[in-house]
Amino acid sequence: MNLEFGKVALVAIFLLVPFAGIALGMRAPSLRSKIPLVVAFFAGLIPIVSLYVPKRFLSGDTGMSPRLDQWLIIVAGFALLLGITNVIQNSTKKITRRAPGWPYAAVLLAGLYVMSAFAIYGWWSGDGIGIRPDGSATPFQWVYIAVFQPLQATIFALLAFFIASAAFRAFRARNTEATILLIAAAIVMSGRVPLLEFLAFPFPFLHGAAADASQFMGRATEWIMDVPNGAAQSGIIIGAALGAGSMAIRVILGIERGYLGLGKSE
Amino acid sequence: MAGLLQRLLNLDRRWIFLFVLVSVATPIVIPIGLPVTTTGATRSAFEFVESLRPGDVVWLSFDYGPSSAPENDPMAEGFMRQCLEKKVRVIVSALYPLGGLSLANASVAKVSAEYPGAEYGVDYINLGYKDGAAAVMRRLGDDIEGVFPTDVSGRPISEFPIMQGIKNIRSVKLVMTVATGTIGEWWITQVHAQFGTPVIIGPTAVSAPKYYAFLNAGQLVGMLGGMKGAAEYEKLLAAKYPNLGAFYGKTLLFTATKGMDGQTVLHAVILLFILLGNIAYFSNRSRRAGR
Amino acid sequence: MHFVGISTWLAALLTLAALSFLYKDNPFFRFAENLFAGISLGYYVGIVLNQTLEPNLFTPMREDFLNNWDLIVPGVMGLMLYVRSVPRIGWISRYALAIYVAYYIGVEFTRKIHGEVLPQIARTMLPLNAFDGPTLVSLIFVVGVYCVLIYFFFSKEQNRVTGPLARLGVWFLMISFGAAFGFTVMGRIALLIGRLNFLILNWLYPTIGL
Repeated sequence: MNLEFGKVALVAIFLLVPFAGIALGMRAPSLRSKIPLVVAFFAGLIPIVSLYVPKRFLSGDTGMSPRLDQWLIIVAGFALLLGITNVIQNSTKKITRRAPGWPYAAVLLAGLYVMSAFAIYGWWSGDGIGIRPDGSATPFQWVYIAVFQPLQATIFALLAFFIASAAFRAFRARNTEATILLIAAAIVMSGRVPLLEFLAFPFPFLHGAAADASQFMGRATEWIMDVPNGAAQSGIIIGAALGAGSMAIRVILGIERGYLGLGKSE
Repeated sequence: MAGLLQRLLNLDRRWIFLFVLVSVATPIVIPIGLPVTTTGATRSAFEFVESLRPGDVVWLSFDYGPSSAPENDPMAEGFMRQCLEKKVRVIVSALYPLGGLSLANASVAKVSAEYPGAEYGVDYINLGYKDGAAAVMRRLGDDIEGVFPTDVSGRPISEFPIMQGIKNIRSVKLVMTVATGTIGEWWITQVHAQFGTPVIIGPTAVSAPKYYAFLNAGQLVGMLGGMKGAAEYEKLLAAKYPNLGAFYGKTLLFTATKGMDGQTVLHAVILLFILLGNIAYFSNRSRRAGR
Repeated sequence: MHFVGISTWLAALLTLAALSFLYKDNPFFRFAENLFAGISLGYYVGIVLNQTLEPNLFTPMREDFLNNWDLIVPGVMGLMLYVRSVPRIGWISRYALAIYVAYYIGVEFTRKIHGEVLPQIARTMLPLNAFDGPTLVSLIFVVGVYCVLIYFFFSKEQNRVTGPLARLGVWFLMISFGAAFGFTVMGRIALLIGRLNFLILNWLYPTIGL
């Protein structure tokens, strides 16, 4: 059995400490909110410290940090499926109580169960969930092509209509700031597509001038994107990153506990 | 005139929707063929790939889903075509949970069918999808096999010649991330920042403005911004590779270049809407001020 | 006219059902919406099981348990996440949440500092000691970054000096948002173009024989 220090330390911190915490928590409820913070401290600290401390037990090939990375790929997979339990619970409740809209909850569950069945079949049989070597689609891939892809694409495509409607009804130059926004939007929209060439399409004598004007708008757009937009985005990135960094420190030190469902006083 | 504008403003929005639908559908039925001009960001991306040598290995990550496929599919497929033309070897992965894997499967199948001489496992490989993108990227810096022990169909990657000598992401000459959302940004701020691997990003148009900051800071070697960026890339590919020029000219399949006609028409419509809306607003305002 | 596959017909009908929302909310749209929600959750099951759990957890433990015995921990932690659905013992899932959230926050911290703050600050360190076009552009850039940062400094009330600078920062932000709107319009239209291309070229034309 491979008992490298990195693995053993990780198991001690992330299995033994939680199990001890659960056992203590059964007897003393006040500890239920405290011991997880110890685990969080190490979980947050290891990836940070491993970047700066080149010790083999921490950041070497068999160290704590690489192994923790491997673990969290697996935990992320479980986390992705977390919403399913909630959805199944809520939808089942809706159906059993015959609440308004319960047939749609049945449709939702049917879709979930059918797709999950195809997923489990693909896993169990070794057929997979993609395209077979002979080019045919597995059942999972077929449902993806026929149902998932068109629905996801169309639901997002609806936004094009709403953006056009909003442009017509709400986009007004009410004050200086809105006017600046409007002018920038108009320049960028005109510069990103061959708009002037399109408008001059029925008039051959304007084609040359339209092409030149279009080039100018294109260069103006590029300048706006590089300079004022670049400056604003840099400022936003720096500010947001510093804010996120301070939030990270608060979580790692246990000051911020909202993600555990705890308030500051708990 | 003021009354007409006011009636227009109070128009049932379903008429606006219908107008939008007809505006976008018309160039599909009657293509216009408007010109596409290239920008510096796309040319940089193209030139960087052109500077690679046959046998170099690049990483193509499908970090988007069907919700942005019309913009991102042409970028990913164009990139793969350019690489296979240059005999640059491509490792494909997907880190976006909602559809990234299936899009990767479909695009790899589509492009590899166009290059029958390209062999799976030698010239390209599909490693499939993995959860926990940030953890994946950290691990890729040390050990690709630790993250992707098998390819998409479950075969150990050590069996494939393309993976010989490629232990981690530092051995790869370029990462091309075709992305919606933040996963593309992580390739820049984590993989490039910590391991130095050059990155090109193909973001959706919605995210593209943010990436100008990274481009200008030298954190990116190129960017294909939205459908326009994809159309520019297709134009550069067609100009450099005659067979791709013929392909993009004749194919009945959707290309970004064809999509630019609809983009142009609807841009004109939306600008018209904004103009009409503001004319009505200002004429209302001056009438109320006059009273 | 030639046979268009069942998957294309199904995709087309579901597309039309989703588009019907533009007229008004209706049972076809609600059906399509709920079907999509269910199928996407099922999709997650497929990719997690086949692409992560099988190659990264089950296979290593099955084929080389002695070297991979520690993978029990992420397996247990992952299952522990689901305990939150059980009210009496839901508190146990805090351990799994603590590891999951804190780890990714730790990674985020290094990413933000190395990948965002330092390179972006370095970008603003531009030479401003000449009187030419590029220097003017650099000056505009640097002024823009500083004014935007001043605007976002909410810990202290703005005064006679910082107030106007923050206002200038807002103008830079408005230019950026206007540009973002222009790009967003293109992004959203692209999705509609993709769908209509499918409906017209992949479904309608083959069905009517064009």
